[in-house]
Amino acid sequence: MGKILMKGNEAIGEAAIRAGCLNYFAYPITPQSEVAEYLSRRMPEVGGVFLQGESEVAVSYMLFGASACGARVFTTSSSPGISLMSEGISYIAGAQCPAVFVNIMRGGPGLGGILPSQADYFQATKGGGHGDYRLLVMAPASVQEAVEMVMLAFPLAEKYRNPVMLLGDGLIGQMMEPVEFPDHLKSEPTNKDEWATNGMDTRGSNKRNLVKTLFLDAGKLNEHNLMLKAKYDRMKREEIRYELYNIESDYKALIVSYGTMSRVCKTAIDNMKDEGLEVGMVRPQTLFPFPENAVYEAASKESCKVVVSIEMSMGQMVEDVERCVKGKLPVKWYGKCGGDVPTPEEVVEAVKSFL
Amino acid sequence: MEIDLDGIVIIVGNYGSGKTEVCINLAVNRKMAGLEVRIADLDLVNPYFRTREAKTRLAELGIEVVVPPKQYMQADLPILSPVVAGMIRQPSQLTLLDMGGNDVGVNVLAALGDALSGRKIHVLQVVNPFRPFTDTAEGCLKIRNEIEMASRLSISGIIGNANLIDETTVEDIYTGYDFVSGLSKESGLPLKFVTVAAELMPEIDIKHFTCPVLLIERQLVPPWKRSISLASKMK
Repeated sequence: MGKILMKGNEAIGEAAIRAGCLNYFAYPITPQSEVAEYLSRRMPEVGGVFLQGESEVAVSYMLFGASACGARVFTTSSSPGISLMSEGISYIAGAQCPAVFVNIMRGGPGLGGILPSQADYFQATKGGGHGDYRLLVMAPASVQEAVEMVMLAFPLAEKYRNPVMLLGDGLIGQMMEPVEFPDHLKSEPTNKDEWATNGMDTRGSNKRNLVKTLFLDAGKLNEHNLMLKAKYDRMKREEIRYELYNIESDYKALIVSYGTMSRVCKTAIDNMKDEGLEVGMVRPQTLFPFPENAVYEAASKESCKVVVSIEMSMGQMVEDVERCVKGKLPVKWYGKCGGDVPTPEEVVEAVKSFL
Repeated sequence: MEIDLDGIVIIVGNYGSGKTEVCINLAVNRKMAGLEVRIADLDLVNPYFRTREAKTRLAELGIEVVVPPKQYMQADLPILSPVVAGMIRQPSQLTLLDMGGNDVGVNVLAALGDALSGRKIHVLQVVNPFRPFTDTAEGCLKIRNEIEMASRLSISGIIGNANLIDETTVEDIYTGYDFVSGLSKESGLPLKFVTVAAELMPEIDIKHFTCPVLLIERQLVPPWKRSISLASKMK
């Protein structure tokens, strides 16, 4: 199959089908409604299920229930909708069920606006719901990368028996780019017998699967949390993904930026190069686990004088960048929040102001 | 071969077929041919990449774009400016209505039914065979049928808009042309014109086509790209 032209939201829906996910529950919200619209047509064609929940809270528990039965599940929403789902996400993580959540971020807080934003970084990487849980969070910068990350999200969710979140901004959902899909379809989780409550006779073993999050005994709950922590530590060892840009040059400043914002930064870096100013970039593709060593190493370059976190938020990822740079260099923030994506010219101006 | 269009032209098509980019560039093409041109942005269903984003650039060329009141410009609300009915009752030499995608995108035409009744109009369906659901003639005709049912208007022609944005090749343009020519034969609808992006034009053999070609100077670009200066020849 050759390339086709797709909106990010449509491509995310198609990628989930190609990844063998035939259970999609969702509630519409701008700017991600096209996923639901697309899958409402496509799911019946492939024998899958699209069910619109009565709210995002309901949707998160539809995912929980279907995942507990061993089905591959996913949903998509945008910022306020993800806030509503956060309770369910905490339960799914606590019960160790795999599920994939896509957040096509819009501006907040509250209803905010419908334009692109990256202001849910804290929510995705530091919590959102209650309790000591972590999501594996991936951030695509192109429609093709969104496809690849969705297809990767399902096996990763199953490997860790944990929710995986794809964090895209409104632009990723709405923009159109040519994409290609892998041909083969994957089927249901291969390790579902570990947790699925699908009847012992289907598993051919005497192991009882019990999906629960309640541990009234202090020692048992502590043990449960230690076991969860070990999984998150394993993610930090095995799942860090990032891209480096113009890193071979003797850059004077290092940008850390993700998602579509990083594409604006690339144009800005190219423009600065033309003027004779070298700037490098680390683009985290996973936000949790965060590419800590990559940022530290890039900031350690002799020529580098400053690190700038550029994000469509009022300064969220910058806290992780500061943590990674370990006081080696000044860490600055530049960003906008409201829907106006910073232009390459504004990025150039901001970087120069810090030098 | 010149694009011979005037009066009221309604641009319809499936979601993401490229209606807005076609509309903006058609407006510029006709303006350059000396016509007085106005556009109404009637995309009430899509929140991003709408004609309103090119409003200032079009205004510089003397093309008026009618959009919702300023305070509602970024809302995802179905706001129909009363000015639009007036535009239809007293049309410019060319009045372009840029509709939203699919059948839901043309529901608003029902509200303009009175204004449209008895007028000579062109309803043109934009087709990009590289988009999902319109990669077969059957898919295009299904959308045609749905749009006609929702708008209660008959589609009167086809616009071929085959492209993969930056990755479009000359071969894609010819393949797309063959596709819409076939669609034209099967549906009995005339092929009004096909589009070619400005950067591909030097490599295209214009004699390959039996219909006019509309040059596309892409305006709705993501923030890391620059749009091509509209109607550079005019300045």
